[in-house]
Formats: sequence, C-alpha cells, structure tokens
Amino acid sequence: MEEQDSETQSSGSGGEEETLKLEPEGLRHDVEDQHVLQFLDSLDGYITLMDSLSLTLRQGWLELASARHSMGASRVNSALLNLKFHSASTSLQVTRNDVDSEANEANFTLCKWASSNSGHSSAGEKFREDKLQTKHDSPDLRHRSKSQFSDETSVQSGASLVADDHVQRERSKSLSVFGTLVSPKLRAAQLSFETALEMLVEIANTRSTMLSAFNRVKKGLEDIKS
Amino acid sequence: MAGRAQIPTNNSSLIAMIADEDTVTGFLLAGVGNVDLRRKTNYLIVDSKTTVKAIEDAFKEFTAKEDIAIILISQYVANMIRFLVDSYNKPVPAILEIPSKDHPYDPSHDSVLSRVKYLFSAESVASERR
Repeated sequence: MEEQDSETQSSGSGGEEETLKLEPEGLRHDVEDQHVLQFLDSLDGYITLMDSLSLTLRQGWLELASARHSMGASRVNSALLNLKFHSASTSLQVTRNDVDSEANEANFTLCKWASSNSGHSSAGEKFREDKLQTKHDSPDLRHRSKSQFSDETSVQSGASLVADDHVQRERSKSLSVFGTLVSPKLRAAQLSFETALEMLVEIANTRSTMLSAFNRVKKGLEDIKS
Repeated sequence: MAGRAQIPTNNSSLIAMIADEDTVTGFLLAGVGNVDLRRKTNYLIVDSKTTVKAIEDAFKEFTAKEDIAIILISQYVANMIRFLVDSYNKPVPAILEIPSKDHPYDPSHDSVLSRVKYLFSAESVASERR
C-alpha cells in the first residue's frame, strides 16, 4: 500500500515535472505558429498587392498611350526627360527594426511631392506630418472647447490648403517636361503611377515582413531538426 | 514590442528603376526621377538595344548605392539577369519585380517567392519533421 502510495506520489511528481517541461514546449509551439501565421498572412498580402499593382499599372500604361496618341509621339517620349541636375520630388524614408540579426525588418515610408530642394523640411512632407498629427490629436480634440476646436480646424485646413497647392505645383513641374499644355490623359497617367507607387511601398513593407517571418520560421525548423 | 529599436537608416532615399520606357516615364511623372551632379540618373530604360551587361552594371550600381531604398525592375528584365537578382539577399535596397506592358507578372519567377516556396515543398517539411 505504502509502495503503491509512493509510486503514485513519484508518478504524480513526475507528471508535474513533465507538465512543467511541456509548458515551455507549448509556448515555443505557440510562438512558432504565430510566425507561420505571420508569414502566410504577409505572403497572401504580397500576392494580392501584386495583382492590384498589375491592374493599376495597366491603367497607367493605357492612359500614357492615350496621351501619346492625342499629343503625338514626339511630345511624349524618353528623349524629353530632364537630364539636368535635380533631386527626386518623391522619395522614401527607411527605418529598420533591429530586433535581432536574423529578422532585420525594414520599413519604408513614401514622401510624395516633397520639395526638390534637398535638406529642407518641405511642404509635401509637412502635409503628411499634419495629416498624421490630426489623426493622433483627434481623441484629445473631443475634450476641448468648441472655440478652440474651430480655431484648430481652421489652422489645419489652412495648412492642408498650402500643402495641396505645393503638391499641385510639384505635379505641374513634373508634367512640364512634356510641354506647357498637356493632355488630361497624361495627368490621369500621373495619378495612376502615383497610386502604383503607393502600392509598391506597401509591397516593399509586406515583402520585408514576409522575409522576416520566413527567417524566423526557418530558424524554428532548424532548431527542431537539431 | 519592448526592446525593438527603430533605427532610421536614411533621411531621404531614392527609388531606382530598370524597366521599359513607358514604365520609367510613368514613374518619372510621379516624381521619382533624380539626376546627380555627375548627371547619373536613378533609372535605366531598357529597350531592344540594351545589352545584358548594361543591365547587370546598372543593377550592381543601384544595389551598391546607399541612397537607394527600392529598386523596381521589370520581371522580364530581371529574367535576363536572374542569377544576379536571385543571389541578392539584403533587406535594403528592396528589389521589387514588376510587370511590364508585354510581360505580365509571373509569381513563379519572382525571386522572393522562389526563396520562400521551399517551405511549401512536401519533401522539405517532411524531412524536418522526421
């Protein structure tokens, strides 16, 4: 009886030890499942975005072809491209998440129609910052008085108007390479390619997430193997 | 997540392009064109007269530059230098293969998808589980 009790006790304590051993294993499987899900989600997002990009680019090419048809091939071709020194109006900001050496995930942010004068905070970027600031401040604005709210919204709308003007000027500058008067189809093509650019930045971010998750899953599989 | 440091690598980076004329023209309309003081552009227009060597040189030049964050390359052009594209594995600049007018996007040729597809191979998964 005592032996049975001692056996029961030892099996009970062994069972507890096994449970304790299994818990970190269980956590590890949960983390691995999370990485696999992240990988599959980003893979799906990547393929979906590529499909959308194809559609947008096709629209852009069609509009460009229409513009070439209405303006003439000599007015819409690469020979007219500006080869004088100038900086890109649309650029990127890159940040890296340095979690570990394997993950090494990069994050891309598009800065559309910033000033072509480099080194200065431009109205284009400011437009984006104002928009973000509006989003972050909106919960606090609810608690303020109406007069303050109306003052702030008028300031913000003024700032956004200035930014809109700047963006329109930069767009016109870009179009002016093909002449003063351009076909509306060329303007439409410009907007389509801007949209394509936004999608491409999203694709780049999704790609980065996918590769980072893939490296983690691969490492997990190698750990299991070893 | 705690401990995740955001490191800004560059204040302002460029988008480079190796593609056909219409694609490059379109993206230049969107304002990504850059010409430096040495009159070097951040794009290469590929046509029937462009040699594979010129494409390779442009790819190597763009991947070596620190101020380029994304390289857009038409997939049919990437296929001409497939070995070079597939052997590139840095996170920045990111290489994005895009469709062109005459060559739609083919996921089976995409270098990123080729890199990750081995996870879906029954053999590799089965061998890891043994």
